Amino acid sequence: MEALLFTQGLNVVFEALILAMLVLGLAVVMGLLNVLNIAHGEFIMIGAYAAYIVQRAGLPYWLAIPAAALVCGVIGLVVERCLIRPLHYEPFETLLATWGLGLLLRKCVELGFGRGYRSVEIPIGGSVSLFGESYPAYRLVLMVVAALVLASLFVWYRRAPTGARIRAMVGNPVLAEAVGIRTRELARNTFITGTALAGVAGVMVAPLTPVEPFMGLTFIVNSFFALVVGGMGTVAGLFAGATIIGGLQSVLSAAVSPTSAYLAMLLISILFLWQRPRGLFPRP
Amino acid sequence: MAYFLVRSLLILAFLILIPPLLGEFWAYQLGLYFIYGLAALGIGLAWGQAGILPLGQGMFVAIAAYVTAHGLLALGSSPIAYLALPAACVLVAVLAFAFAALVFRGRFEQGPSFSLMTLALTLAAFQVANGWSRVTGGFNGLRNIPGLPGLDGFLDLYYLIAILLGLSIAAVDYLLHAPIGVLWRATADNERRLAFLGYDVAVIKAAAFAVASGLAGLAGALYAPQQNLVTPDLAGFAFSGDLVIFAAVGGRATVLGPVIGAIVVGVLSAELRDRFPWWEIGIALFFIVVVLRLPGGLMTLFVPLRRLSFTRTVTRARSVAPGKPRIATSLSVAFEDVRVRVGDVTILDGLSVRTGEEAVLCVIGPNGAGKTSTLNVMTGMLPRRGGRIVIDGADVLRPEPAIVASKGVARKFQTPSVFPKLTIDENLAVALWAGRWRGFDLLRSGLFGWTSPLLEEMRRRFQFLDDGTRPASALSHGERQILELTMALITEPRMLLLDEPCAGLSHEETTAVIDAIQWARGELNLRVIIIEHDMELVRRLADRVVVLHQGRFLADGSVEEVQRNPEVRAVYVGGSR
Repeated sequence: MEALLFTQGLNVVFEALILAMLVLGLAVVMGLLNVLNIAHGEFIMIGAYAAYIVQRAGLPYWLAIPAAALVCGVIGLVVERCLIRPLHYEPFETLLATWGLGLLLRKCVELGFGRGYRSVEIPIGGSVSLFGESYPAYRLVLMVVAALVLASLFVWYRRAPTGARIRAMVGNPVLAEAVGIRTRELARNTFITGTALAGVAGVMVAPLTPVEPFMGLTFIVNSFFALVVGGMGTVAGLFAGATIIGGLQSVLSAAVSPTSAYLAMLLISILFLWQRPRGLFPRP
Repeated sequence: MAYFLVRSLLILAFLILIPPLLGEFWAYQLGLYFIYGLAALGIGLAWGQAGILPLGQGMFVAIAAYVTAHGLLALGSSPIAYLALPAACVLVAVLAFAFAALVFRGRFEQGPSFSLMTLALTLAAFQVANGWSRVTGGFNGLRNIPGLPGLDGFLDLYYLIAILLGLSIAAVDYLLHAPIGVLWRATADNERRLAFLGYDVAVIKAAAFAVASGLAGLAGALYAPQQNLVTPDLAGFAFSGDLVIFAAVGGRATVLGPVIGAIVVGVLSAELRDRFPWWEIGIALFFIVVVLRLPGGLMTLFVPLRRLSFTRTVTRARSVAPGKPRIATSLSVAFEDVRVRVGDVTILDGLSVRTGEEAVLCVIGPNGAGKTSTLNVMTGMLPRRGGRIVIDGADVLRPEPAIVASKGVARKFQTPSVFPKLTIDENLAVALWAGRWRGFDLLRSGLFGWTSPLLEEMRRRFQFLDDGTRPASALSHGERQILELTMALITEPRMLLLDEPCAGLSHEETTAVIDAIQWARGELNLRVIIIEHDMELVRRLADRVVVLHQGRFLADGSVEEVQRNPEVRAVYVGGSR
């Protein structure tokens, strides 16, 4: 019983960390730039396809990470230049445009790879024995990588001069520009970082899920509502949202059924949107 | 009115003439696109007019489709089966109204949270439709749904759909040109101003959403007999998204745009689907281009045409608006130990002050004294941490703009708050209707002719108000100040709250505004509370002056008394207290 609880607890941590990783790119774009990037799930999907191609080519799996970041970053650059900037980063307009973008990316991938499911093999097989319970090694590696990526990004955001410039831009774009911050470049780079992070997250989850053109839809729904519950633009919000939504999914899926876990997530999100639309830890 | 009838009949005739021209295959195809067009028509109304973007209309289509399907399956060929259609429609509209009224109650934000709630709801509905097999048939849906009794073949059903679409277009057209349509556009423009005029904004917005959802319901009710099949896909994310795309592509701000969008995208898909594997990429690109380059949708392309045909000058018969029941005494207000804190900042620190016998009360004090906050907490825009606010002898426990307005309090903001996208006439009309409309008045276009002696007098004093077709956004800052003041006055309040009413006005305008305020004060037996920095103005207007400092009451009395007060002097000259 204790062992079962331990595994279950580890699963909750795993779900929360992975969801935080999946949300990260969206949190950057939506929390800092106010762009509701509905095509976020499609960037995750493209990252997963990058992993598939790298693996098929017989290359080491870790190479997929820079590959996916590069591909998604370049697409992000084009999208920022052609869609987001012309629409002046307006929430509603970019929501519509990225909705169309998601449609476009899904169909492009479908045209290139077909509708069928692709599977990516788990690059690190085997399991590790933890306190007498065996746990898949790949999951442990993912947890460590996700924790490292999240932690280093947050330290960077808090400590590095660029992080301070981003915070200044978010707080008051006009003033930031007046004191010499090049907000246009900064916003562009922030957006690209968001899409590249989505690609990296796609590489990480690719071996755990069927890879297909429509896989992004589930991810965007979960990520989106995790941010809604947690709150936009803060580190605490990201973790709170990922823990609540990811943990809830993990526990309810195991205890009742995946469908009821999904419905419970939607119900909680609706309650939050209604009574606390800025989430638990909003940006002040 | 004649114009409206001609237009509606032309559209109807066009819809009915299609099958003889294009054949039965197209009658079937177009029937389906018309059904989508009905749902998109509703989205155009909610989004393009009232500013509410519904992302989950598929859910309402699905609910109505399942209800109708069960009705048709149970009743078969009995003519009673027709009742399933209106029943499904009304059920869906009532559900939508209840949901929206609940969510919009007591909230002022046009943010995306309502849209996201509708999205979450439709995602949930999709899961339920998939899982609840006993009622919905699960993943495969309800099959072999009989057609409507007495209608043979696609052509008969086509005519029914076409007639219902024509009537729905006419109905929406009518609503948008009726007073309620102006109120919907006013909500999208400046919700707060509407509430401060005393309108129940939640109900107005919920009504728009209910009409939109009723149309989605009609679409669903027709979908069941047209397709003979209802699957959970109707509640899916993708279908709801498609409906929004139709409205955006066609032009959400117009009546016909969303319908045209549904038909154009539908026909394009049908034509391209088999020939090109990448047709959906084309549709996606098309949609992106519309968002980027054609925010008004395809209907923008017809704007030059409209200039040719829409040159109509409607002269409405003027009639005097029904009077408001008036109470002869002016309104009193008392603050007792009111405290307001936002975060760590204390804004009002136990403020106690009450109105007395005076007619014009001027509130002065240095910046940050809490003058505007006093008005904000009184009208429900700032939460109160303690103390009592008594208006007209009654404790106001939870002040809300509309409630305070209904007690007879009108407010003019520091920065002019009007409806920039509406014309001057519409701005004035919205203010004039407030508290005067009864029953179904908001559907009568006769209301556009309403006027009142007070309004006529203001028009005489300020000539620019006569130029009624100008949009308020084209007015200068000073004109907007005067327009807002006029709007506040013609609601015939018992108390008028003015926050620096003459800021940014020229000397002549200031004199004219002061004259108008004093005239209206006598006319309406009005109590006026003015926040003012300009001591010259205070001297000319005030019967009594109240000085606030750091969220507390400091002194009061006549202008001279206050000016002699050493404490007031210390505060203004910068001494410490």
